[in-house]
Amino acid sequence: MLCSRVLCEEESRVMPTELEELVGFLSAPSPQVKKAAVDIVQGLTGSEDGLQSLCSFSDVVIPSLSRVLSEKKEVSEPAAEALINLSQKPEQAAKMVSMGMIKTAMDILYKQGSGITRLLVMLLVNLTQSDDGIASLLQTGDEKIQGLYLMKLVRSFCTSSTETTDDPFEHVGSILVNISKKDSGRKMLLDPKRGMLKQIVRQFDSTNPLRKKGVSGTIRNCCFEAETQLENLLLISEFLWPALLLPVAGSKVYNEHDTSKMPLELGSALSIEREPVGDPEIRVQALESLYLISLQEAGRRALWSVNGPRILQVGYEDEEDPKVMEAFEQVGSLLVHGSGTEEFSTESSK
Amino acid sequence: MALWMETGSEPNTQSEIADLDAITALKESAALEFKEKGNQYVKLGKKHYADAIACYTRAINQKALSDSENSVIYANRAHVNLLLGNYRRALMDAQEAIKLCPTNVKAFYRAAKASLSLDLLGEAKSYCENGLERDPNNEELKKLARQIDAQNLEREHHEAQVSKAVATAKHLVSAIENRGLKIGKAVFQELTGLRKPILDTNNILHWPVLLLYAEVMSSDFIEDFCETDIFSAHLDMMFSESCPPLPWDKENNYTREAVELYYEAGSGVCLPKAKFLSYLLEGTVGSHVESIGDEEKDVIECSHDVTSAGKGSSKWVKVNEKRTLNDVLKEPNLMIPGIPVFYVVSKRSSFYKEFRDGKWSLPS
Repeated sequence: MLCSRVLCEEESRVMPTELEELVGFLSAPSPQVKKAAVDIVQGLTGSEDGLQSLCSFSDVVIPSLSRVLSEKKEVSEPAAEALINLSQKPEQAAKMVSMGMIKTAMDILYKQGSGITRLLVMLLVNLTQSDDGIASLLQTGDEKIQGLYLMKLVRSFCTSSTETTDDPFEHVGSILVNISKKDSGRKMLLDPKRGMLKQIVRQFDSTNPLRKKGVSGTIRNCCFEAETQLENLLLISEFLWPALLLPVAGSKVYNEHDTSKMPLELGSALSIEREPVGDPEIRVQALESLYLISLQEAGRRALWSVNGPRILQVGYEDEEDPKVMEAFEQVGSLLVHGSGTEEFSTESSK
Repeated sequence: MALWMETGSEPNTQSEIADLDAITALKESAALEFKEKGNQYVKLGKKHYADAIACYTRAINQKALSDSENSVIYANRAHVNLLLGNYRRALMDAQEAIKLCPTNVKAFYRAAKASLSLDLLGEAKSYCENGLERDPNNEELKKLARQIDAQNLEREHHEAQVSKAVATAKHLVSAIENRGLKIGKAVFQELTGLRKPILDTNNILHWPVLLLYAEVMSSDFIEDFCETDIFSAHLDMMFSESCPPLPWDKENNYTREAVELYYEAGSGVCLPKAKFLSYLLEGTVGSHVESIGDEEKDVIECSHDVTSAGKGSSKWVKVNEKRTLNDVLKEPNLMIPGIPVFYVVSKRSSFYKEFRDGKWSLPS
């Protein structure tokens, strides 16, 4: 996922030599000059032309803007916006990563009163598009601090959602989707000792569509580890199943015969009227996750034990989106044969 | 004739030299005679083995024979010691025989045999090989070599099995640790026998679960309760319409709807890791293994020991049957006594009130 802020195109035409001067002004001692320069640069990044011209000076622009990030909001805000726009270009993002931008962003993010939290998170989203960016965020280079940034971000993501008006950490979900594309990211998220996935999955209940999407995408990526780390997925099943099954359960009320075979968190949610999940992409991701889990025998068994296939059956009946229907059919094909497994064992009485 | 000579002094006179020669000859023939006698004793059978040994010993002590002749006597004594089961002594004798005459193939054979009996497979093999170098067609040595190889193979196989059992047990311990479960001392072992939890190919735990009918202290077993299964599914099976009622349940109180499950809260101290490992290895090839692995004397990472509410008053916590086994086992006040134990009561039985009021506790 990428973030961008497009602004007015007024100042998109600046001559090359002027540009060099402008870039120099980013480090001007005079606050007014600096502010003016930053604002102009920010404006330039709002257009394709401006962006291109700045890119040839990026070796100076990036560090200069980076320094401004730690200053007061009136300059740090446009600087952050400029960096976000620049980072949409993969080469610029790569440069930023190699210049330690992730560390800079994280340091400022967690400094009191920086005022540009949301923007810094968005910048991190763009920077974690590349493998290097992911490695830098995960701090895989240093064993002692590995995963520290990640844990901080997850913590902020999971504890800040009560702020309904301004949700500065809502984009963290997108960062998680990015890092979970890599094996190293997934492993960290799934690590039971860190307990991050459990916290993240609970955010699925959020009404914020960005959060929901981030969680859904992250879960789906993590399910690619089902072959080797199924236990780490299934052991948070209390939270995982609702996140995966409720979106694809359709909107009908389920009868008691069905819900009696489900755990409380599913049964009670499905016994009442509810709003369908609007975004078909989330439904597809949920079904893909279920597919990956069902490839494993223990996964199928666990799904059967919560009456999962019944939910999928009912949900499929209501489904009209062709892509989602296809995803339903894919999972369905794995669950068709038999009631999950070789029966629950026979009991021996004395 | 002076028979004793002062040390350092040499025989000078002809007669002294002659005396010495005579003595040596006497000793020599005595030695040979003792050797012969020994051989005869051996032929006479078991009862005379001790005598044979005595003769050989006396023969050796004459110190009158050549190295190769003495080697034969040592080898003979080794043979008798082997017959008597004195393997250590047989080995020493055979080694001496080899030292005195490195071409004494019989000595190699006996050394190999003695080593084998002492379970020194490496030495046995090397004696065999040395012997076969001197006499490549020696059938007895060849046979012994094959025997040694077979034993080696068996030993390696056994060791591999033990390693495997230990590794499996360790894997299980860490899986249980990762889940934050608390394991205490096993109880009811007369009911549970040697049943243990197992990890399947997806690293999911399957527990054997004991169900105790508190009212009558009868028991039932769920052989394979997967940690992701929910309780109600198993209860559905056990108390389904088609199942016969429990034999002691005369009033038919224990029906599906009436049945409730409880666990005992707060009961005891976590097992130390090593003890839990031993418990898991009971009844397997690795059951004799001591001092398993690292010196972690700490408990299985219990965040806190669960302490009992008070003597004689256990707290019974109802199990929500719509939960998975793992979710229930993870409860902070639940200690698994070796394997999980749940108590079954019926809402319809008169025993129910007594139980819920805390007036019942386990008979000791």
